[in-house]
Amino acid sequence: MSTKHAEAATRFIADRAEEKWHDETLWMVRQKRDKMSHSLPEWERLRQLASAIKLYSNSHLADLLEEFERHAVANGAIVHWAKDAAEHNAIVEQILQQHHAKVMIKSKSMLTEECGMNPYLMEKGYDIIESDLGERILQWMHTHPSHIVMPAIHIKRQAVGRMMERVLGTEPGNSDPTYLTHAVRKDMRRKFLTADVAMTGVNFAVASTGEIVVCTNEGNADMGTSFPKVHIATMGMEKIVPNLESLGIFTRLLARSGTGQPSTAYTAHYRKPMNGQEFHIIIVDNGRSEILGNPEHFRTLNCIRCGQCMNTCPVYRRSGGYSYTYFIPGPIGINLGMLRNPRAYSDNVSACTLCLSCSHVCPAKVDLGEQIYRWRQQLDVLGRANSMKKLLSRGMKCLMERPALFNTALKFAPAVNLTPRMLLYNRLNAWGVGREMPRFAKQSFNEMWKTNQIEK
Amino acid sequence: MSCKEELLNRIRQHTLQTFEMPDLQMETLTYEDKTASFREVLGQMGGEAVVLQPTDEVNEVIRRLYPEAERIASNLPGITCATFNPDEVADPRELDGTDLAVVEGAFGVVENGAVWLPATVKYKALYFIPTALVILLHRQEIVSTMYEAYRRLGQERPDYSYGVFMSGPSKTADIEQALVFGAHGPMRVSVLLTE
Repeated sequence: MSTKHAEAATRFIADRAEEKWHDETLWMVRQKRDKMSHSLPEWERLRQLASAIKLYSNSHLADLLEEFERHAVANGAIVHWAKDAAEHNAIVEQILQQHHAKVMIKSKSMLTEECGMNPYLMEKGYDIIESDLGERILQWMHTHPSHIVMPAIHIKRQAVGRMMERVLGTEPGNSDPTYLTHAVRKDMRRKFLTADVAMTGVNFAVASTGEIVVCTNEGNADMGTSFPKVHIATMGMEKIVPNLESLGIFTRLLARSGTGQPSTAYTAHYRKPMNGQEFHIIIVDNGRSEILGNPEHFRTLNCIRCGQCMNTCPVYRRSGGYSYTYFIPGPIGINLGMLRNPRAYSDNVSACTLCLSCSHVCPAKVDLGEQIYRWRQQLDVLGRANSMKKLLSRGMKCLMERPALFNTALKFAPAVNLTPRMLLYNRLNAWGVGREMPRFAKQSFNEMWKTNQIEK
Repeated sequence: MSCKEELLNRIRQHTLQTFEMPDLQMETLTYEDKTASFREVLGQMGGEAVVLQPTDEVNEVIRRLYPEAERIASNLPGITCATFNPDEVADPRELDGTDLAVVEGAFGVVENGAVWLPATVKYKALYFIPTALVILLHRQEIVSTMYEAYRRLGQERPDYSYGVFMSGPSKTADIEQALVFGAHGPMRVSVLLTE
């Protein structure tokens, strides 16, 4: 009866202290975002423009991608097209083979996560090193991100410290974040200098100039691309923006929305390869063109992956990223999962209170909550509706269509208040699990109205 | 049919309604005292901005800020405190172990304390590998917002291979959201505002 999300969330909230920490920490990020948005009088105008630019670029995508490619090639880049994850991974592998490369250092990319690239390449014997601190921690712990911007938000410093004692030989019992971060800095420095190939994701690709833009706080993407002879940048095709002017709208929104900073420490523009470096750009579809043709859900392609919909979501904050069955959690993940495979990922659509907070904070105005509502209407068609809820809805429908029966039922409803708890709170009543049932009033509104107890 | 054409065809087939490009003209935040606000915001980003007085000698200011720096890189002619020219090394890996690099910025942005660095050095590694970075910036070259910054780049069409808006030092909060400076890049960034 419970969804997989509800079951996993039950495990997450079993540790009340950690649930509270997770909830409060993410809410703090939401508050930082609010401070940023309130400091800009033009905030709502920026959101409106971001949404409008995305709608323009996604509805002129083929032309803009061609324009981007033309300029990128003129700049000296090598552009590849991948229709799905398998093609993407094969292209990367081929580049590694051409250069007899063994070690690739990479910055964070949700796209490589989507394509399952790391496991694919590591199985073939390549050493893939994540250089973002959070991603590196997860790689050492053999696990995956629980948030798209703060990937290791669910891991406590003590656990990181213990793990680093093992992998880096740090001082026993030292879990100071500064100490641990600098230990990784020292270790990663060697890796930056010796990797064969560098890979980065792409935050924005500018059609009018053919350059790609990568935003980080750590500088790991730029350190990574500074030494190897090859740089591979991989992008979902919706990363296109028409020109530098429109890029200015997005860079003003991205970090303010994501982490509540005016911008990331580094907004790096890669236009032409330097010092004889080979510069590859992979443009990936992997289901995006399908989404374009979906009238109810194409706005998910507006997403700039800031992660704020997770921070604001009351369900995400209190259930953690691992409770969702799709690799991207939270409101955007619920929608992207359904677009990927509705039968496989429908467990997540109930992880939403329809409060629409996500829709209100989204910098590119993706109608996240509204889309989740629409998916819920599809559950029955997909054969994924909850049978108990269906039964109850049918019962309610029967009752609602028969006023006499309804009024009689209502008359006897207060009797429930006197029912022993064990009859009410048991496995047969899903609504009694984890919450208190409402008490029925002694008189119904209808009765009060008829006996003139309501002031007109 | 090649993968590219197949992909573009599929996009064209699936595109539903088309939307117009919006007019990007807008009123944006402006700062009255750009120098003062730039200093304030850069400070919040973990960096520092120092306004050079007419009597200040730039090398002395750098030495005063970084008395312990031994290996100092710069390709700028006036920077006599530099101990080597980073453009002359054979491989960017040789820049590892640089205590301080002194570089030039094109313009600054108040709203995020950023400086636009279109690579004017041979190896862009120089912006990231030193323990500390000093950026020289003309005080007049500061715009209020990234909106203006990109309009400027869009209109002037500068020819850069690589460029970065850098807002203060490298940082992370990946362990329990605790802010730490010096994740991989410079631990300290000073912007010297010149006349």
